[in-house]
Amino acid sequence: MKIRTWKRMVRQGFLNVFRNRIMSLASISAIAAALFVLGLVMAVVMNINNIVSSLESKVEITVFLKDNTSKADIDNIEQQINSWDGISECQFISKHQALNKWREEWGDKKYLLDGYHESNNPLPDSFQITAIKPEFVEGIVEKANSIQAVEKVQYSKDVVDSITSIASTTRIFGLSIVGILIAMAMVIINNTIRLSVYSRRREINIMKYIGATDWYIRWPFLMEGMLLGLFGAVLSSGLVAAVYSLLEKRMGGPSIENNLLSLFQLLPLDAILYQIAVLFILIGSIVGTIASLLSMRKHLQV
Amino acid sequence: MIQFINVTKEYENGLRALNNVNLIVERGEFVFIVGASGAGKSTLIKLLLKEIEPTAGALFVNDRDLTQMKPKEIPFYRRSMGVVFQDFRLLPDKTVFENVAFAMEIVEASRKEIRRQVPAVLSMVGLASKANNYPSQLSGGEQQRAALARALVNNPSILLADEPTGNLDSATASEIMKILNMINHRGTTVLMATHARDIVDSMKKRVITFHKGTIVSDKEKGEYFFED
Repeated sequence: MKIRTWKRMVRQGFLNVFRNRIMSLASISAIAAALFVLGLVMAVVMNINNIVSSLESKVEITVFLKDNTSKADIDNIEQQINSWDGISECQFISKHQALNKWREEWGDKKYLLDGYHESNNPLPDSFQITAIKPEFVEGIVEKANSIQAVEKVQYSKDVVDSITSIASTTRIFGLSIVGILIAMAMVIINNTIRLSVYSRRREINIMKYIGATDWYIRWPFLMEGMLLGLFGAVLSSGLVAAVYSLLEKRMGGPSIENNLLSLFQLLPLDAILYQIAVLFILIGSIVGTIASLLSMRKHLQV
Repeated sequence: MIQFINVTKEYENGLRALNNVNLIVERGEFVFIVGASGAGKSTLIKLLLKEIEPTAGALFVNDRDLTQMKPKEIPFYRRSMGVVFQDFRLLPDKTVFENVAFAMEIVEASRKEIRRQVPAVLSMVGLASKANNYPSQLSGGEQQRAALARALVNNPSILLADEPTGNLDSATASEIMKILNMINHRGTTVLMATHARDIVDSMKKRVITFHKGTIVSDKEKGEYFFED
């Protein structure tokens, strides 16, 4: 087709969307809702992946000791640890130091910890171990676990495992919702195109007599479906950006949450928005086009 | 130019609309197809537009066998014909100019060609002054002229007219007939289905009469002939 014909098709597509505006709005909302949920799932999963990869590069291991471990045993264990391969640093943190550190971390909310004293300190003695490289972490954990006086060994893999499972649950659950929403959006777009074809049936009839090719008749409706998808994609990208930046703001600023979540630093909006928007535009226009094609197959006999 | 060879058309409900029709129309002829409703006039037009397929027989237009035509070729075939109907079939939300230009856009004519050709054809049918009016602002005769302009704008070699005067009073109808005659004199083959006796009788053209799907009479410079 010639360029001016393409222009005409695009213009006609826009015109169809506008003429059919109530149904268009329904279609755009439906596709936007589906993509919005997809965007949230993607944002969560991308953030989790980011946390996982930063955790996996962490080399810290905390070894908690059983209560009432003697000073001699502690020294002995420290010597033992320092003899292992891959140890960069091994620091003893007494339960007293741990409590002080906790108070420090809680800043102006430390009064909440006023009930804890030397006598009822719930924190254990521990060693804070830093490995030279992440590859040494597993071996160190294994050896530490075999020491009698060790209560528990904590390292990044535990956290990684649990958040990886959160990510996969989110992905499965979220994507099935997205699938259902996209199917609904397709039904609505399908109907919108059907109405559009119906309202232009006279024109289509005349076009056929004059000798319009099938695709000349079809293109405006394909454009219409694609445009509905595109508008939905733009709308949902905007929504995701708005919600995400709100979340970003909430997580900034000094607060307890901030401190706890400092580990889970949110990815900046522009790092995820670009990917999400591109994907939305792709999915939106493909879904719209397919819905339109299906509708035409049924309702546009050319 | 147009040739029907033993053409039979039977619809799915068993109705035999055309029965073994043989017919030749030469280039540049003006032919009336007459007969009562249900005689097969509309079926003949539909076959020529390749809207429907014959059940049996062969059908040639411009040396092309319509029964062998691929679906893809149909639009290009239709561009060689103009067609007008009893109910005009203009687009109500387009002006006269736009309605005619629409036919040229479909065949991907350039804007320059459209600007040159549309006014020319509008003045040919005597509608130049109404180019910017909408169909609802026109009389029936003017609407049919607009429809004629649209049918002619792409220079078809054949003009099919299905009861073009059916909705018009006799004075307006004869205006339309003058235009059809003029078009025919310019070399376009005209096939007109009608049951308007006075028009047929006054034109002194070839008249082919159908009755229950068969040709019962075919006369040069004929008159409306009908036998029950």
